Amino acid sequence: MKTIIRSTTCADRLLFLLLVLASCAGIFISREAVSQSSDVLIEVNGKAAYTFPLTTDRLVTVDGPCGPTVVEIRERKVHVREASCPNRLCLKEGWISKGVIVCLPNRIVVTVGGGSAGSPRGVDAVTG
Amino acid sequence: MQLQDKYRIALLSAYALSLHGFEALLPTPIPWLKLGLANIITLVALMLYGFKTAMTVTLIRVILASIFTGTFLGPSFMLSLGGGVSSTAAMGLAWAVSRHFFGPVGLSLIGALFHNAAQLALAYLVFIQRIEAIMIISPVIILIGAVTGLMNGVVGGLLIKNLSRE
Amino acid sequence: MKTNLVAVLIFAALLNPLACAGRKPAVYKKTKPLMDTLVTITVVANSEGEAEKAIDAALSAIDRFSSLINFFSDQSELARINREAGIRPVRVSPDTLGVIERAIFIAEKSGGAFDPTIGPEIRMWDFLKKIRPSDASIREKLGLVNYRDILIDRDKSTVFLRRKGMMLDLGGIAKGYAADMALENLKQNNIAAGLVAAAGDIRAFGLKPDGTPWTIGIKNPRQKGDADELIARARLTGKAISTSGDYERYFIEDGRRYHHLLDPRTGYPSAGCRSVTVISDSGLYADGFSTAVFVSGPEKGMKLVAEAGVDAVIIDRDGGIHTTPGLKGLVAFEDNH
Repeated sequence: MKTIIRSTTCADRLLFLLLVLASCAGIFISREAVSQSSDVLIEVNGKAAYTFPLTTDRLVTVDGPCGPTVVEIRERKVHVREASCPNRLCLKEGWISKGVIVCLPNRIVVTVGGGSAGSPRGVDAVTG
Repeated sequence: MQLQDKYRIALLSAYALSLHGFEALLPTPIPWLKLGLANIITLVALMLYGFKTAMTVTLIRVILASIFTGTFLGPSFMLSLGGGVSSTAAMGLAWAVSRHFFGPVGLSLIGALFHNAAQLALAYLVFIQRIEAIMIISPVIILIGAVTGLMNGVVGGLLIKNLSRE
Repeated sequence: MKTNLVAVLIFAALLNPLACAGRKPAVYKKTKPLMDTLVTITVVANSEGEAEKAIDAALSAIDRFSSLINFFSDQSELARINREAGIRPVRVSPDTLGVIERAIFIAEKSGGAFDPTIGPEIRMWDFLKKIRPSDASIREKLGLVNYRDILIDRDKSTVFLRRKGMMLDLGGIAKGYAADMALENLKQNNIAAGLVAAAGDIRAFGLKPDGTPWTIGIKNPRQKGDADELIARARLTGKAISTSGDYERYFIEDGRRYHHLLDPRTGYPSAGCRSVTVISDSGLYADGFSTAVFVSGPEKGMKLVAEAGVDAVIIDRDGGIHTTPGLKGLVAFEDNH
């Protein structure tokens, strides 16, 4: 072992250390970054219909039982732009960058980033 | 090219090929984890006989190995070629620029780094095109590359020492 | 080469925590629209695959059950019972029979404050379109609301509504029962901790990965600012919690609030409470008794809660808060109250 270490130059050792440190840091940074640049999942009737990256702007028209629902992705945020459901609650949800928008009558669920929207003030569920 | 050079290249290529084949037989915990044993030969060729020999040996190894395994000109051949050529080129450059700055271990680490970087870039351009996947996998691959590169460099260094003693 | 091996082993050990990061128990969550609401199942599992498998199985169990008792579907067992009202008994699955039997039990216990035969009345209202039935039609249909006219034959597994025009509506307990079912299903799939929430009907079991019980927020029935403002939070495990409130489905006309919690004895919305939260061992009872207590009003409701052996938080029509002694230390009210 000793002779092996002695056979390496200073630059060798430095390079190795640098590579290990940089890649270890990279592992954590990339995990963080990827968990943030999440996907937009659109489900109709409980079945996954589309998955899009949040980073690409686009308009998607999804057909549900009540008719088309237009979902818009823009600047890493998602909202329902047009809806044909009777109560249009989904329109009122506004723009989200994490969490869920639901249109119950049209059976459409739009989930951003795994859906675990930070529940209000450390609560696991809400009754009422 | 002298006859002696041809013999040398043939011999080194044969070593590289057999290491390449031997590596394929080894069970690895992760399918894409490669030890890059053939890089030991590239390293030895570069440090003892120069860049031209090293590059020739690399090309012969990549092309023959792909012909033997029936993947010549296929996607895995492209990855192999890109990785091999860029790693040999990077090692050659580092060796030429600073002859006594890096030892075999340093050169091997550079080779592993460029091998992986080239393969990741090619994989992104040709196959996956999902930057998140590449971003996730890159540091892991580079870390493993540093470890295998270290091992290969040490083995290569011992080989060079023994060969130049003769 | 031996020393190399040591180096490799050291590096393998360094890599290990990274590889193991995914094996620690973590919380996984999935939401699906079912039973005309949102069902969210949260589980503690070692891997996403394990969690997903268990959650999907539990969700499809709810889906199967909801197709049996869906009030609005012509194909459901419930619809068949209603169609054959006054004509002939209908053979139903054990699940449906069990739910109806327990609905009758809650109706008896509450002296009719909860009544699964409320169907003919509730059908005439539309809280979204603000449609209020005429006083005459409310009075006319009231004769069809009586849980004593549900005849059950256990041996034949049949249900018969004695009079034509009668209608069962299990909306008051179905979601609580669905939460019970999903929970059993999760346990069968070796999930040791989790949370099933069929809208506001929630069942909690086991502990979170950090060893603490689940925290369930209780909505403020009169939201001041942002959505989901809480009035209290409950720390629960091994319990079910359900809330009935006058703010869930309602409209306001001429200054009066008309909501979906009808008093089966009058046919009009019950005005005694703003919301009632019941905590019980069973989701079905929590769900059913929250309705029954709401309709009973705060005073009778408190008595009913004691008799039924459940705990409750009652917020009366003036915003006064009444809680049972059993909730001491389990429910914490927000500072603004």
